[in-house]
Amino acid sequence: MIELKDVSSIYDDDFMALDSVNLEIKDGEFVSLVGPSGAGKSTLLRLMTRELKPSHGEISIDGINIAELTNAEVPLLRRKIGTIFQDFKLLSRKNAFENVAFALEVSGAEPEEIGEDVPKVLNIVGLNDKVKNFPHQLSGGEKQRLAIARALIHRPRILLADEPTGNLDMVNSYDVVKLLMKINEFGTTVILATHNREVVNAVGRRVISMEKGKVVRDQIEQGKYII
Amino acid sequence: MRKAFKRIFRTGWLNFKRNSYLSFGTTGVVALVLLLFSGLMVLNYVSGQIVAGLEDKVDVSVYFKNDAPEDQVMSVKQDLESQPDVARVTYISKDQALTDFKAKHAGDALIQQSLAELSDNPLQSSHNIKAKNSTQYASIVTFLEGNKFRPVVDKINFYENEAVINRVESISNGVSNWGLVVTLVLAFIAVLVTFNTIRLTIYNQKNEIEIMRLVGGSNWHIKAPYLIEGGLYGVFAAAIAIIIFYPVLWFVSSKASVLIPGISLVGYFVSNVFQFVLIIFAMGIALGIISSFIAIRRFLKV
Repeated sequence: MIELKDVSSIYDDDFMALDSVNLEIKDGEFVSLVGPSGAGKSTLLRLMTRELKPSHGEISIDGINIAELTNAEVPLLRRKIGTIFQDFKLLSRKNAFENVAFALEVSGAEPEEIGEDVPKVLNIVGLNDKVKNFPHQLSGGEKQRLAIARALIHRPRILLADEPTGNLDMVNSYDVVKLLMKINEFGTTVILATHNREVVNAVGRRVISMEKGKVVRDQIEQGKYII
Repeated sequence: MRKAFKRIFRTGWLNFKRNSYLSFGTTGVVALVLLLFSGLMVLNYVSGQIVAGLEDKVDVSVYFKNDAPEDQVMSVKQDLESQPDVARVTYISKDQALTDFKAKHAGDALIQQSLAELSDNPLQSSHNIKAKNSTQYASIVTFLEGNKFRPVVDKINFYENEAVINRVESISNGVSNWGLVVTLVLAFIAVLVTFNTIRLTIYNQKNEIEIMRLVGGSNWHIKAPYLIEGGLYGVFAAAIAIIIFYPVLWFVSSKASVLIPGISLVGYFVSNVFQFVLIIFAMGIALGIISSFIAIRRFLKV
């Protein structure tokens, strides 16, 4: 359960990225977060991983106020949350296997476990034949699938996807969304921030629309992309 | 724990290897810095030798009256030797002094002739005193002046040598003080250069560090391989520096021994090869690790 109470976020240059947002996202939901660029979607996601701290208000995940976490506890939070980004954020000096393995290593997994789990996850995202490839040797769609594999490897309870299809063509976008829905079926909460109308309409689940830092519409079921 | 170390070393090594172009450059810069340090060591050794050579030429002699009893002369020697500042005292008897004098002026017929005409030995017995440090002669002389056998002493040549002794002292102080200043300034610059090079190398990987933070890497988990990478720059740089240093030293040594007779650079650095290699490696590794440590701290704040 993710709860945002009266959350505002003001950047250094006095830009108000979020303005008194109240939200509740239950376990296992698939939420599409839509709105034009600059509406505050990415800020909202970055607050959830404690990349940013709210200027005002409270964000809690499973009842824990994450603003109060110490620097040493932040990695523990991030291991509960898988994140995928528009620009993939893969480690360019590591190959596909190592990129995924890194997320497991940091949580202290045994080498045996890593050797067993990583190929499985790479198989799920269809990259079993690209294990030794470095990110620059992969196509856009493959990079995003690798990023998803990394986000999945420690079986996160929550998956945050920030414009995951922004750099992909329609076919690859559709593949990524199908993957996200499959992951959601296994019980992971998915929050998908996007301004891709086709993607949102294809998912057809809860849709939260944002504009200028505020939530302007919250369609709980069978939402559509409306501006 | 052992697995964690293995992982850290493996990752550090892989980073170093995969980044070979950049690693090569950084290693080269660190190697140059280490060579600079080696050069400073050579410089320090040479200036030390020059100072020691100068100080060795300084001494003080106490001349005794012709009728001074042997036992009193000898007890002055013992008193002197018990002084902590005194390095050694050499007794030169009248006969010895004459033999030395004859030998020194063997080519001078006039002196030989005048000596032959003298029935008596005109030279005095003396103690030749070497202090441990050239600044200590004044206090040794003061001690002698207060000695109970002062009456049998004819003269102390310190007063004639005083100006020379002071001059040697100021030169040797100058050489070692300026040597220290130059060493410190160059060492400081060297550390800055290393630090900046490694910082730029790591800056290159700023995004990677940020990503590692975002997928839940703890600070130490991210930091450790970079420290290893920094250490590896040091190891390779030290090896390169040593491989370059010895042939260059061999080349310079023959020239140096022409300029400063009695100095053997190769001899010194070969007989101390173990310490030298250890120092260079320790310095390289420490520079690499510390620079990485400071550099990476700034990128771990996400």
